[in-house]
Amino acid sequence: MSRRAVIAGVGHTAFGRHADQTAWHLEVKAAQNAVFDAGFKPADVDGLLTDPGPAQGILDGITPHFLRMGAQLGINPDYSGSELLGGAGSVAVIQRAALAVEAGQCDVCLCIYGDSPLSNPASFEYGRGDEAAFGFFGAVGLHALAAQRHMHRFGTRPEHLGEVLVAARAHASRTPHAQRRTLVSMEEYLASEFVVEPIRKLDCCLVSDGAAAVVVTTEERARDLRMPAVEILGHSQAHSLSTYASPDHFDTLPAARSGPKALGQAGVRPADIDVALLYDCFTIVVLLQLEAYGFCEVGEAGAFVEGGRIGPGGALPVNPSGGLLAEGYSSGMLHVIEAVRQLRAEAGDRQIPEAKVALVSGHGLGMNSHTTLVLGR
Amino acid sequence: MPELSIPLPSPDALTQPFWDACRERVLRVMQCASCEHLFLPAAPCCPCCWSDDLSMVDVSGDGRVFSYVVYRRTYHPAFPAPYVVALIELAEGPRLISNVIGCEPEDVEIGMAVEVTFRSAGDFELPCFMPAKAQEGQG
Repeated sequence: MSRRAVIAGVGHTAFGRHADQTAWHLEVKAAQNAVFDAGFKPADVDGLLTDPGPAQGILDGITPHFLRMGAQLGINPDYSGSELLGGAGSVAVIQRAALAVEAGQCDVCLCIYGDSPLSNPASFEYGRGDEAAFGFFGAVGLHALAAQRHMHRFGTRPEHLGEVLVAARAHASRTPHAQRRTLVSMEEYLASEFVVEPIRKLDCCLVSDGAAAVVVTTEERARDLRMPAVEILGHSQAHSLSTYASPDHFDTLPAARSGPKALGQAGVRPADIDVALLYDCFTIVVLLQLEAYGFCEVGEAGAFVEGGRIGPGGALPVNPSGGLLAEGYSSGMLHVIEAVRQLRAEAGDRQIPEAKVALVSGHGLGMNSHTTLVLGR
Repeated sequence: MPELSIPLPSPDALTQPFWDACRERVLRVMQCASCEHLFLPAAPCCPCCWSDDLSMVDVSGDGRVFSYVVYRRTYHPAFPAPYVVALIELAEGPRLISNVIGCEPEDVEIGMAVEVTFRSAGDFELPCFMPAKAQEGQG
């Protein structure tokens, strides 16, 4: 009988400033929350996968993140490792856990993201190799190149990017644990200063200390647990490693390849998605994904988001917990967790009625890597 | 600009010939003898056909702005805002990240014709680009 991977537990810390705690404190707390949410005991965990976040990939140049994480949790798993895919990493960790569980490498795989970049801000302002000689700093520069292309090719306006932020804040206002719960008007958005034009300060995601964890197990093991299991219906990756040499590197995300693959595995179309958890490090990435996943035609994402269509009560709610723009920066693990909560119908004031199929995406390393997950109940 | 504080490139055996050519104020890219593909950055094999038969060839230094951004925030003291970072598509095909200088940020646009110029920084000559017409008549 084939083994099917499901998500059985989720947990996280508060996101914001945790000046008095290391990332390890946060990661351990998230891990405890996720394992206890599932109803497992520490001794049940036989798989450990981690997404270390930008600040702590390799420690002291030699110790992999999962090793020290495992030492702190006191576990000796049958399967372990870390994924270094930037913002595509947390979804990638869930994918790897599903593959490992379905292949019989482990039964209960704990997936952890955690970081404390507010205490370690340099990691977000890195130069990119020799390109730093031209003042090309930060992920914001790369995404501004993509935004400029979209505006040039399709007439996308600042207001279209603003719709994404306004919607994110409106969603977060219904999310008790969100880091930024205040509403923002379009006027306030347009008054926001440019960081790297055409990207404004309010187009950029939050910087957060925090950790989030998910437990992946088999359908069989999940049967007797306290929470209903969430099914992993499909998952895929796509990468554009040629970077600038790819003619469409800034115009088409690898999501255009990973999306149809994961949706095909799940046997669903974009119109069947009840809630989309789209990686939103910058507002432009949401527009690019709406097109790449086929929620609208290429070039039409600006018009698509007008009138609050991705906001609360809209036709396609995107990131109902607020996402990286308002809930907190988590490298994507909070997106996975919100999808699980929506499918379990435990999202409180922000619950999307009858949510049955969720799309979750990860987008990392500039435009290079994309990960897609389709979840359902 | 206080040039010496610019974060300088770190050439390795692959990229050293590119930076050596820049020091001669020439833009030089890799060429595949098998499929004639021209490319940057330097690589151990042709990224199109995987041939190892590679050489370097001088290119015109003419290109177009594929996309650009204006840094409105100063991230590094050597780069006071505002300044333009652009992805330049060379006339011969390869693309590289550089700066557009010699005009106001507001005058840069996608598709604009540019040509290479070099800016000294430490032991390096950094290939930057300026509007092509701005150099007309300067010999």
